[in-house]
Amino acid sequence: MWRTRLHFLFLFAGVAIAVLLGIHMVTLHLDAILGFFGVNAADPTGWLSMIGRASQGVWASLYIALLAFVLYHALYGLRGVILEVTTSVRTERVITRVFIGVGILAFIWGSYVPVALLSS
Amino acid sequence: MTEVSPEQVTFKIQRYNPEGGSPPHLQEFTVPASKGMTVLDGLIYIKENLDSTLAFRTSCRMAICGSCGMLINNYPHLACHTQIEELKSNTLTIKSLPNMPIIKDLVADLTPLFDNHKLVKPYIIRQDSGEMENPTAEFTQPPQELNTFLQFAYCIKCGICVSACPTSASDELFLGPQALAQCYRYCADGRDEGQLERFPVVDTDHGAWRCHLAGACSEACPKGLDPALAIQLLKRQLASQAFGLRKKQAPSTVASPPTETEPKVPFPEFTAKSSK
Repeated sequence: MWRTRLHFLFLFAGVAIAVLLGIHMVTLHLDAILGFFGVNAADPTGWLSMIGRASQGVWASLYIALLAFVLYHALYGLRGVILEVTTSVRTERVITRVFIGVGILAFIWGSYVPVALLSS
Repeated sequence: MTEVSPEQVTFKIQRYNPEGGSPPHLQEFTVPASKGMTVLDGLIYIKENLDSTLAFRTSCRMAICGSCGMLINNYPHLACHTQIEELKSNTLTIKSLPNMPIIKDLVADLTPLFDNHKLVKPYIIRQDSGEMENPTAEFTQPPQELNTFLQFAYCIKCGICVSACPTSASDELFLGPQALAQCYRYCADGRDEGQLERFPVVDTDHGAWRCHLAGACSEACPKGLDPALAIQLLKRQLASQAFGLRKKQAPSTVASPPTETEPKVPFPEFTAKSSK
């Protein structure tokens, strides 16, 4: 039954992306709205602000989680599209392994900066 | 009573002979059509009067056997269940069902359909093998439970849902709406205990989760079934099983033997057989 669980994780990742990306958008790009509610973020898209957020555990966790969900959602969806036009079971196995490898590499690469900043 | 003059209808029919080597092509026939005439009647007219080599399947002529499924004006129909008049066109283009190999002319190869149908084990599976092999009575089933899957038991296996399905068009390995709906039909049956044997068949990359819910199968089904609904209900069963939410229910039991009752009104003497 693990394909059912993977599919539900795919659905859950979609919802999680909407939530986490929503937090990212509101914090960084919709500061005018935040200002309306009395929250004044000083230059949220500035370099120092970004480095400062990435050095905080909560923000680093949020971005690492967003990266994981985006990678899973995108690669699982793309794999599904490719499998739909693939008729060979062996090719499907190769595609699945390539996608798992690409996902792990992309996750390591993408999460390196916040992890390095956190540990420094 | 005045006789209605027949209207001329052009049948553009896909011809294909695998022994000839040429690709499928359209051939035109002119058929006199009258009110109430079906596409199948037109095809029979062509075979009897114009070209006896035309190949198509037919049997019951009343939408029961599911033999005459074909693509009529780019939409899958049963030829016997489609009146020429309702198509509102004097030119009909008729091809074999898509998403399936062609055997000859309008005869589609339904082998993949039946192979997938067999894969989902479309029969009652129970653990009490003694009762299955030597049945003593029927299994009980309340009408409410029967209503949860009854419509799916009316499937005639014509293949029209599979030929209408966009996922079956792109994914050759997809089980298809027919097999998935039949999987649900038996999994929802309270007399059955075969869910754990069927779920691994449909919980694959080309199983229930590949369905995009386009709904084309339900729209095309000539029997008015809703295979798309069956697939969604099957997904619910799969999710319940995967996350341990499924209620464990004992299968229905064998019906108790009928009790002997005395007739309320005694038979009149003249109808009752005398033992003397």
